[in-house]
Formats: sequence, structure tokens, C-alpha cells
Amino acid sequence: MMDLHSEELLEQYRSLLPVYTKMAEEIPAKLKEYFDEAGLVVAALEHRVKTESSLAGKLALKGGKYKDIFDITDLVGLRVITFYIDDVDKVASVLERLFVIDWANSVDKRKAHETDSFGYLSLHYICSIPETAYSDPDYPELNKIRFEVQMRTVLQHAWANMNHDTGYKSGVEIPKVYLRNLSRLAGMLELVDDEFSRIRRELADYRRQVQNLVASGDLSEVQLDGDSFRSYLSIRPFDRLMRRIASINQAEIQEVDLSKFLPLFQAMRFKTLGDIDAMVKEYSEAAYQIACFQIGLTDLDILSSSVAPQNLCTAFILKNGGGRMGLKLMLDELNGPSEVNEAMADYLVEQSKDLPFMNQ
Amino acid sequence: MEVKIQKQENGVIAELIGRLDTPASQEVAPAFDSLKEDAAGTIILDCTQLSYISSSGLRLFLSTRKAAGEKGGKVIVKGISNDIRTVFMMTGFLNLFEIQ
Repeated sequence: MMDLHSEELLEQYRSLLPVYTKMAEEIPAKLKEYFDEAGLVVAALEHRVKTESSLAGKLALKGGKYKDIFDITDLVGLRVITFYIDDVDKVASVLERLFVIDWANSVDKRKAHETDSFGYLSLHYICSIPETAYSDPDYPELNKIRFEVQMRTVLQHAWANMNHDTGYKSGVEIPKVYLRNLSRLAGMLELVDDEFSRIRRELADYRRQVQNLVASGDLSEVQLDGDSFRSYLSIRPFDRLMRRIASINQAEIQEVDLSKFLPLFQAMRFKTLGDIDAMVKEYSEAAYQIACFQIGLTDLDILSSSVAPQNLCTAFILKNGGGRMGLKLMLDELNGPSEVNEAMADYLVEQSKDLPFMNQ
Repeated sequence: MEVKIQKQENGVIAELIGRLDTPASQEVAPAFDSLKEDAAGTIILDCTQLSYISSSGLRLFLSTRKAAGEKGGKVIVKGISNDIRTVFMMTGFLNLFEIQ
């Protein structure tokens, strides 16, 4: 049987339900905007309004604790689930910027553990919307209602859900061995979370190093891989040659993605960006000669930007004894395997044999 | 120059017959534009009876590819002769299309 005070609180809840619903729908949308602005990718952004039956249950247990409905801070609840543990703090800083944080009631469960215990890790903020940021005359209570935001990683979330299903609030005492196993799992997931963050940091460091080396021109130090090649392409290493080739017929250059040349360069046993750069320096004239021969007597005035690296590779392969087979492999790599590539390779060998670069 | 268009279940086939030189490209440009209606599917450019392609013709191929790229479709170039394949290679167009 519910007491009179709890009945009053439930009545207040019912009258404020439209405000809670509005908040639960609009706050996540606003948060998403801010996360996007901060370049923060989260795994999930959940929201819910406490149901009347759940509130009734809570009031039955501790209704006397609340003077009025505004003392209950979890009627609107949000949960932000991040991929990385570092991002939990970033999410928190976005909240601190947007909302008034009720520090007295906010909890950092991550700090609540003793040095020898493992378990629930999550950051809970109790927030409210400052009038300076947003107010609505139709919903004057909006700025008075506090709401809870839980922030945790995907792994913390998984553990919390498992723990919840297994024992928490079940009313049945769990044997210690299972509790110990759950704690063990929490410890392991904490390690995994740290590892994911460490790998991300190291990868970001590596990318910065590569970008710096590419920018400084120290290319022989940079291993050739997907990241480094992307950075290399950003300095547009084939542009000069491409413009020279285009000038043969005053052709329009159609920019295309050159990342498909990476597997070809790797097949050509290039180990560093310096190897590609050396090819550009050494074979640009030869690549230009090939282009002159191929398009000089035509009226073709549209070229893809892949012509420059394609002709560089052609010249490199021919000058390094790769011959017809090498050219066929190049065409297979660039255009997909095809029997016709043999005929194309023959054509390239035949037309290049009398060019000056082949006889120097 | 003639373009025969035939709708298919998931796209369209355009049979290109003749020489796709500059005047012909202007002539068949509306036919190429109509192919863009099917840009979300597969556009097959059947070049079995295409004997020549100029820069203007390449531009038509390219704009078809762009439309397909924007709508999540694709362009397949089918049956090109060795001469046209050589033009595609020299201009760097060969790896822009799926060639069959």
C-alpha cells in the first residue's frame, strides 16, 4: 500500500511526464551534435524515461527520502557507450560544457574501487540544463529537472549487463566462486580496454610521425604501407609529371584515387616511400617520353591522373628488365587479371623499344 | 552512331554501334543522359560494335560512371576492341571501369 506522500510524488511524475519525454528525446540529439563537432564517435547513445511502475517500486522502498519529485535524479536517464576508455572522459567534458553538473550527486565508480578489487566501472553525472543554454516557456520545469548520464565503454557495458543478469538485484545470494569469476572478468576487461586505448594512441603517434617525415621530405625512413602511402599522396608526388604529360595535348586532368597503386608498388618490392620518390626523380623523363609517343599524335584531351604513376611504373619495369611479363603483372595489378593484358604488355614493349630512354 | 538501349532487371544495357567521335558524342549525349535514370543499378556499355572513341566519347563514359558512383551503381564496359582498350590504357581510363 503506497503512502500519501508517495502518491503525491507519482501525481507530480504524471504531470511532468511530457517534459521528461521531451528531455529524453532532445538531449541525446543535442549531445550527438556536440560529439560530431568534437570528432567523437560513440558506440551507442541510449535514453529512457523511468516508467511509472519502476518509480512506484522505488518509492515503496525509499519514498520518504524525497521531498518532491525534483529530488529524484534518474527519472530521465541517458547512457553514452564509448569504444575507448579515453573517450569516457571526453564525453564527460562535453557534458561539463553543456550542462550544470550536480557534483555532490555525481559518482565516478572508476575511482570507487580498492586497489585489489575489480567490478563496475562507470561515470555517472547528474546534470541539469542551464537557463542560459536553453529554456522553453511551455516547459518551465525543464531547467529544474535533473537527469542522469551514465558513461562507460562497450566492454564495461557488457560486464555491467552480465553482472546485472547474473546476480545484481536477483534476490538470490550468489556463491562466492561466481562473484570471484565475475571480478576476474572485470579485471581482464579493464586490461583489454587499456590495451585498445594504447593501440589507438600508438597508431595516432605513428600516423603523426609518418606525416612529419613526409612533410620534412625524409621519405627513405618511412616504411611503405597504407597509412604512409595515403600521407605521401597528400603531397601530390605525381602532379608535376602529370601536368607535363597533360600539356602535350592541353588535356584536362581527371583526378582519380591513386591508392590502388600501393599493391603494385609493393609488388615492385618498394619498401619505403623513398623508393617511390627515387622512381619519380629517375623515371619522370622516360614516363613523359612514353606519354608523348602514346598521345602526341592523337587528339585525346582528357587524361586520368593515374597516367603519371602508370607510365612511371612502365618505364621502371622496362628499364629494370621486367619486360613483357613485368608489364603484364603491372596491368593485372592495376586493371585486374585478364588475358588481354598480355597483348597490352606486348604493345607497350613494342612502342617503347625505340624511345630514347630505352637506349640510354 | 547509334545507341540501342535495353532495360534490364537491375539496370540497363546500351549497345554502342559505330564511331563515337566528337560530332557523334554530341548526337548521342541525350541517350547517355537517359542511362543515368538507371544509375543506381548496373549500366552495361556494350562496345562490341564500337570502332572508335574520341575524348568526347570518353567524357560521356566518365559522366555515366560519375552518375553511377553517386547513386551506388556501377558501369561495366563490355566487348571493347584492342584499339579502344589501348585508348583506355593510354588515358588511364582502363582501371576506372569494370571491363568485361
